[in-house]
Amino acid sequence: MWAVIKKEFKSYFYSPIGYVFIGLFLIMFSIFFYTDVFTYQSTNFEYIFYSGATILTFIVPILTMRTMAEERKTGTEQLLLTSPLSITKVILGKFIAATLIVVITLLCTFMYYAILCFFGTPHLTTALVTMLGFLLLAMAYISFGIFASSITENQIIAGVVTIGFFILTWFLPQFSDIFTNFSLINMFSKFPAGQIDIADTVTFIAFTVACLLLTVIFMQRRKSVR
Amino acid sequence: MNKLHGEIKVNGYDILKKPKKAKKEIGYMPEGVPLYTDLTVKEFVTYMAEIKQVDRKIRKEKVEKIIEQTGLKEVGKKLVKNLSRGYKQRVSMAGALVGDPKILILDEPTVGLDPKQITEIRNLIKELGKTHTVILSSHILSEVSQICNKVIIINKGKIVAIDTPENLERKVASNNSVYVTVEDPENKIKAITQNIGDIKKIELIEENEDGTKQYVIEAKGEVDLRKIIFAEFAKENITIFEMKKADSTLEDAFMKLIEGGNK
Repeated sequence: MWAVIKKEFKSYFYSPIGYVFIGLFLIMFSIFFYTDVFTYQSTNFEYIFYSGATILTFIVPILTMRTMAEERKTGTEQLLLTSPLSITKVILGKFIAATLIVVITLLCTFMYYAILCFFGTPHLTTALVTMLGFLLLAMAYISFGIFASSITENQIIAGVVTIGFFILTWFLPQFSDIFTNFSLINMFSKFPAGQIDIADTVTFIAFTVACLLLTVIFMQRRKSVR
Repeated sequence: MNKLHGEIKVNGYDILKKPKKAKKEIGYMPEGVPLYTDLTVKEFVTYMAEIKQVDRKIRKEKVEKIIEQTGLKEVGKKLVKNLSRGYKQRVSMAGALVGDPKILILDEPTVGLDPKQITEIRNLIKELGKTHTVILSSHILSEVSQICNKVIIINKGKIVAIDTPENLERKVASNNSVYVTVEDPENKIKAITQNIGDIKKIELIEENEDGTKQYVIEAKGEVDLRKIIFAEFAKENITIFEMKKADSTLEDAFMKLIEGGNK
């Protein structure tokens, strides 16, 4: 599994994808940082993550859309499937590699924290809790992205399905209150308040595990049908 | 690697019960050579070694050895996507070879190569055949009869024949005939051949521009006609330009077996 993580992680930086992801996120984050901090004159680092979470909706697919789809299209999945490595490990490896990119991005956001320290006293614990929530949200998103990527061999379709699903879960609560509990981005909203909600945390993790499991099952089924 | 009926055993390991062990015995080179094109040759082979769980201590050394063996040393640092088709094929082969599998499965290994590359790959396969069990799937039958020592012909999912290429060729050698090209201005050949008892049938194939004619002469039974034809034609002053015994190829065997299966 370590081999897959290493290779996938390297691949993100061999292609522009890794840079594009981190770059895009930081640009958007900077804009939100500017508007939030300067318009409201607050040094609340964690508030930027409310907007930050919406960025994820659009850039996570960049990270995940090729993971399985490309392997299937180019046929390299045959190399993985005929190797002694189990499918679970392959998928977990890809998931962890993508998560690591998000972790790097999160570490980069500490520079905004540093800037705020200059002008006031932002709360470190709240910031860390927010980041934890953000990571959990990102993991849930990535796992769905990988699943979407495994159902098609076309990267674009995988990307569009992923964005579509995220936007759907984002806006559904506006149509009916019933959907409030299904919205991933809504679940995140408690973290910037410095509150680790057990129910939300569990839901995030459960969603992640469920998506990864679905991917494994899907790959296994496809293998046996072929 | 899954199945509908029966069981698959690889070197004694059931693929469903011990997939890890069974898969370790196999080196697979897929058709169309899928490769990770954004890695360098060395990185690719190393990655294959890693996912095939080659021991960390000997991994580097093994990778070097395989790169050497497949003649990839001078392109080791190049990106796979910048390589020619022939080299890609070798990289794919290197990927299959890594981890010392006992069984190598090569799917159409010479498709899309130029003649020089084909010979190189074939020689490599022959070389590997000395130390590995090589299962070669190919539609180029001349290649098969050149490299393989056992042929399995499968038609619509059913095994039609298992034999050595020589045996298969012999099996379909149905009629014993000879191709001759002669100069025969007086057109005596038909009359002469009617007098030779061993000849069953003579047929004109084509008249060449230089006045020679090519015939196919079929014999009765297992006599070698060439001696008789040579002697008889010489007596009548017919010059033989070319004479060849019709031998059947693996292609003929294949056609015959497939047709038989379809009826």
